[in-house]
Amino acid sequence: MNRKSLVLLFGIIFCVQNLAFAQNATLTNIIVTNTRDDLLVYLNVEGAFTEKMKKAISSGVSTTFSYYLSFYQVRNLWLDNNIEDIKVTNTIKYNNLKEEYIVKRSWEKSGPQVTKSFDEAKKLMSEIDSLKIVPLKQLEKGTHYQLRAKAQLSKVTLPFYLHYVLFFVSLWDFETDWYTVDFIY
Amino acid sequence: MVYRRLHLLKQIVIMNIKRRKKTASFISEEEMKRRKREVVISISIIAVVALLTFVENRIIHFGADIPVSNTILMFILININLLLLLLLIFLVFRNLVKLLYDRKRKVMGTKLRTRLVVAFIALSLLPTIVLFFFSINFITTSIEFWFNVPVEQALENSLDVGRSLYWHTEERNRFFMERISYQITTKKLLDTNNKKALSRYVQVVQREFNFNAIEIYADNATRITFALAPELEDKRFDVISADNLQKEIPPKGVRTVSERIPSGELIRTIGTIPFGSTPNNAQAFVVIARLMPPDLAKKMSSISRGFEEYQQIKLLKKPIQATYYITLSIVALLVVFCSVWFGFYMAKTISIPIRVLAEGILRVKEGDLSVNIAMVADDEIGTLVDSFNKMTRDLRIGRDQLELSARLLREQNVEIEKRRQYMEIVLKNVSAGVITLDAGGFITTMNKSAEKMLNLKSEHILRKSYKKLLDGQLLELAEDVMENLKSSRNDAAELPLKLAIDGRPMSFIMHVNALKDDAGQHMGMVMVFDDLTELEKAQRMAAWREVARRIAHEVKNPLTPISLSAQRLKRKYSDHIKEPVFDECTQTITDHVELIRNLVDEFSSFARFPTANPKPDDLPPIIEETLALYKEGHPRINFEFNVTDDIPVLNLDRQQIKQAMINLVDNAIGSIRNEGSIVISIAHDPILKIVRIEIADNGVGISDEGKTRLFEPYFSTKKTGMGLGLTIVSTIISDHNGMIRVQDNKPKGAKFVIELPV
Repeated sequence: MNRKSLVLLFGIIFCVQNLAFAQNATLTNIIVTNTRDDLLVYLNVEGAFTEKMKKAISSGVSTTFSYYLSFYQVRNLWLDNNIEDIKVTNTIKYNNLKEEYIVKRSWEKSGPQVTKSFDEAKKLMSEIDSLKIVPLKQLEKGTHYQLRAKAQLSKVTLPFYLHYVLFFVSLWDFETDWYTVDFIY
Repeated sequence: MVYRRLHLLKQIVIMNIKRRKKTASFISEEEMKRRKREVVISISIIAVVALLTFVENRIIHFGADIPVSNTILMFILININLLLLLLLIFLVFRNLVKLLYDRKRKVMGTKLRTRLVVAFIALSLLPTIVLFFFSINFITTSIEFWFNVPVEQALENSLDVGRSLYWHTEERNRFFMERISYQITTKKLLDTNNKKALSRYVQVVQREFNFNAIEIYADNATRITFALAPELEDKRFDVISADNLQKEIPPKGVRTVSERIPSGELIRTIGTIPFGSTPNNAQAFVVIARLMPPDLAKKMSSISRGFEEYQQIKLLKKPIQATYYITLSIVALLVVFCSVWFGFYMAKTISIPIRVLAEGILRVKEGDLSVNIAMVADDEIGTLVDSFNKMTRDLRIGRDQLELSARLLREQNVEIEKRRQYMEIVLKNVSAGVITLDAGGFITTMNKSAEKMLNLKSEHILRKSYKKLLDGQLLELAEDVMENLKSSRNDAAELPLKLAIDGRPMSFIMHVNALKDDAGQHMGMVMVFDDLTELEKAQRMAAWREVARRIAHEVKNPLTPISLSAQRLKRKYSDHIKEPVFDECTQTITDHVELIRNLVDEFSSFARFPTANPKPDDLPPIIEETLALYKEGHPRINFEFNVTDDIPVLNLDRQQIKQAMINLVDNAIGSIRNEGSIVISIAHDPILKIVRIEIADNGVGISDEGKTRLFEPYFSTKKTGMGLGLTIVSTIISDHNGMIRVQDNKPKGAKFVIELPV
């Protein structure tokens, strides 16, 4: 077995592993708006819930979506100025005793939301509503800004050694691309 | 000799040491290093794989507690593990390919190695495969069994029990809530004036229906009044948030929320007044709370968790199975490849010493005894190798000793050969003739002098018996000598011998010695003989000269008085005695005295023959002059003179040579009765540096006995003459350092051959 075929073999192994993670989750309806004082963002993630994930959630698996938001001041001929990096999470957990979904959103001050409807829970999981990014006073008029956003399944809490399983069989992992919204304040 | 032998031994030892140095690196150091490196790599890979597996295991046990991202760490670890496994596979395959290649090249030992490898692989593969499939089967059935048992049913049932507990609580609350709502509406207790009445009513209801708590909220979500059971009185009791109140109410008219408090789980059922209206249309909200004891709450949540976990495991049944299979496969592969590699290693350790030994034996077979196999093992094969080394060493030493002996023998042979040659040269150059005979009377050696003396070629007589070579008188003589030697105690005999060789008379003195070995056994005899011909001739000549001189002296003296007396008688008495007889007698006396005087003169001249006084001169004119003297007087004889080559100038006494030639021609004429021819030829032999004169006639010839005595004085076949002619010739030729011999002239007559040195 020569070196070339070894390299080829390893290449195939890595490609197969990477393919297992690829899912078609996208961010939609990204809206940047403002209140009197703050810059707000609205966004939805679509295609994050697969059948297997639904099954897993209804089996009581706690699942967390992470949203990464980066706010930049765009500068020509220079690296963009990173103003803010925000990471927020939405976590869902099904209570089979009371047959209700508990959705905990890290960016909401009020406690977890409880719902009996999975659709509602799904909606709660896959949307970010009026998330404050920066106070408006930090922004300069007429300047070019950019918001970059990404969502990914960051954590599936399985009991015992079942984390291990995921290395061999990827069930529902997803990660969206980075989405950007440009605007001039 | 001893020193030389020591030196040789030293050389051999040095050679051996060099050879040994050469053969010590029979398996090259590079190869050894490479093998060692391979072993180290393989062992370290196995160790690292084991360690990584252990670490992975630990991490799984730690779960999410360790700070580093599990995912990445596990990913890295598993990949490294895979890589190492691949490396191990690569090593195994490399060995396999090498083995196949070696087999193709028919490298010695590959067959054994293949057999061993196959045996090891089979031995390891068989249990591994059996165990692998058994484990797979076992895992499959076990997993199936876990999921088949009625655990699920039991869990579901208990969950249902829990659910129905909640449902019943809610149902009961709903039942009372409907009544309470009706009472409050009908009694108009919500009016601001009836606030006290509402409070009273609430407390009564709480006590009557044994609620843990009952609350009344206004439509703006402010709590108007509430009543608590004694167990909740001293605890914190929060209001329900407006959001919660405002949430949509399901068609059955109530909605339940629960929260955990230190004393258990508080189940609060929210309803509207009037009952069944939407939150927006509600005049107020009634909340009935029931407290679930902590242990019950705990049990409920554990039922829920148990079911959850079971569900999750069920969900992951296939992946778990796959994981087990993969893990098992990896382990099985690891075991297989480890055992294969170990098989290779064992095969190598077993077959390499054997191969090395076989190669060594092959080399010994081809004659290379310098083989020395480095120690390759410390087991029985090691002992074998040791014995082999000892054997080759012994063989080598033996061979070296043999070589040494052969060399010494060769040297001795050379020495003996030298001695033999020396002896041969001595024998060849010794003037005496030497002939040896073995015990059977066969001639074994004959030297050059003997060949020359006897005019024989040694190859004609060697290894032939004297009995065949000799005949007549000589054979008798020889047998007499032999008999004498054998019988007598004396080992030596001496006897004179006269022989005519090629018509030449020869005289020898022969010493015969018997040869005896150390044991006194008869080995043969050696004959040494000297040519005494010339010596005898000279001795005889000297004797005859002495005789001649004495006779001349003794006879000549009385002759003169006799002659004078006779003359005096004649003179004095001739006239007186007129007798013719007297005169005749005196005359006879005088004549015969004169004759005697002549004879005596001849004697005298022989006795006082002057020694030659040679000067450089031409030979042919002398002969021509001689022949001229006779040609006229003998018309019936044909004289012939042949000069073949350019005859060089010789040292000659012209007078004497002429005398000799006259004597010889005279002799030849005498031997021819009537007609005949005399041929004189001169030839020059530049090789022998001689001039040969041959005087041949076709006369009567000379008998063998005559030949022996021909040159002796007073030997004559003629009636007249003293027989001194040829004696004088012989003397003249001797004085010229020449040689004269007589041969038979073929077909008739005699031939005198004179050889004069140039």
